[in-house]
Amino acid sequence: MSLEPQPPLPAAAEAEPQAGRIAVPVWLIVLLFLLLYWGMVYFDQHSGWFDPQVYAPYRSGAELALYQPPTGGPDLARGKVVFENVCGLCHGNDGAGKPGQAPPFIGSEWALGNPNHMIRIPLAGLAGPVEVKGQQYNLAMPAMGAALPDDDLAAVLTYIRQSWGNKASAITPAQVKAVRAEVGSRTQPWTADQLKAIQ
Amino acid sequence: MNYGPLVFLAAFFALATSWCGFVLTPQLQIGRLPQAHTVGGAASTYPVARPGLAQQGMEVYRANGCAACHSQQVGQTGTVLEIALTEAGTNQPATIAALLTLAEGSTDHAPALSLLAPVPSAPSNSTNATILAGLPRAFLRSSTREAANAAIKTLDATSAKAQLWIVPVGPDLARGWGERRSVAEDYLFDRTVMPGSQRVGPDLANLGARLPDANWHLRHLYAPRLEVKGSVMPPYRFLFEKRKIKDRQSPEALALPGDLAPGDGYEIVPTQAAQALVAYLTDLHADAPLFNAPMTRPATAEATTSTNAPAAPGTASTNAAPTHAAAP
Repeated sequence: MSLEPQPPLPAAAEAEPQAGRIAVPVWLIVLLFLLLYWGMVYFDQHSGWFDPQVYAPYRSGAELALYQPPTGGPDLARGKVVFENVCGLCHGNDGAGKPGQAPPFIGSEWALGNPNHMIRIPLAGLAGPVEVKGQQYNLAMPAMGAALPDDDLAAVLTYIRQSWGNKASAITPAQVKAVRAEVGSRTQPWTADQLKAIQ
Repeated sequence: MNYGPLVFLAAFFALATSWCGFVLTPQLQIGRLPQAHTVGGAASTYPVARPGLAQQGMEVYRANGCAACHSQQVGQTGTVLEIALTEAGTNQPATIAALLTLAEGSTDHAPALSLLAPVPSAPSNSTNATILAGLPRAFLRSSTREAANAAIKTLDATSAKAQLWIVPVGPDLARGWGERRSVAEDYLFDRTVMPGSQRVGPDLANLGARLPDANWHLRHLYAPRLEVKGSVMPPYRFLFEKRKIKDRQSPEALALPGDLAPGDGYEIVPTQAAQALVAYLTDLHADAPLFNAPMTRPATAEATTSTNAPAAPGTASTNAAPTHAAAP
């Protein structure tokens, strides 16, 4: 029996270390599921469903819609654009008309009066003598508004009735649509007397 | 055991998913963003391309590293619905009574003005005029859109004219740095978007709206502390030229006081780069009401006393309530 220390066994050093397996603790699984649940709740409330229109203080498209400015009322800005493209050349962008050529809109009894008369004029034009604010005009106006969509025509007529100090009721696209259906495919321009006969 | 392929796949999957989420999806969603239409009132296209000089000024802004100290992004913490009167109408006692009823009557409204909070005992005709003076003003805060619409109807019925104001709120907005939060459209025509990350100086997203004076900007670039007391901005004098006056002073020469004046017979004139930079700075606007950042601008053109200085604590304007209006 020898008392000398044995040299370490070479076999132990050669063995490759093994990765052991151990069960995931139950609390960790519970925690993960709680985190998952919280994540989904957060997602529901804050993601806006990844809508690119929804930014941070708003949490969903529905909430964003609640904060939209009111769109009610006539669209005078649109009416102004249409007016200056279509009507302004003759009637003037300031609505003052051109003496002897095109009657003014400011304070005009035709612009402020019966909408049924006013809507018909751009739809089929107006020819022959017409008296506006005590002045006689005798030229033909083509059917400038026949090609405009109902909402554009309503916007421009409303713009005429509510600009430059004019204060008359707005004209809705529905009114324009109704009159357009009555006018039908009329190509003849109106005369002032024909319009006055219409209620 | 060889886990190499598994580790590679796991890392690839993790990086690929985040790349899809943070790069690809936003690119698909807003990569080809068109111009937006503004909402409410006069509809127009937003944004419009910068004028040429301002476009050059953006390069000057970039070359001088302005974005290192100035951000161009405004935050918002919430939105408040306010009901304002624009016209008092003819039946003022009824209007005030309706306002008081609305303010007390339900939990949907809170008074936005202190004079509505205590109940004035039977207001006589003379006080009516003072209560309804200074219109348009916000009188009530509503918690929901339906309540606001109903309140406006009630007030309109008393011959007054009421309006809904949609007011974004937040610390940035209370400082006067903007009127609403920044959205992607604001940067649509910026090549090299420079939103900035540090705010050594004030946010510049809406600078052109709050400081439209080009001469102010030129003097401020030449000598910042001349215009803003205690400013830490370095002077950008290399953007200016000291010139001998030939026949008479050039019109764009800076008017400088006292010791900054260049001396007799000389003048300080901005170079092309300074002119371009100022054109860019005065062109910075982020105040159009958009669908994704709605607001209504109060009908008065009252210029809020917006400054470059950070908001002093306690100067709470109506914008200062950083509360998120409760969503219904």
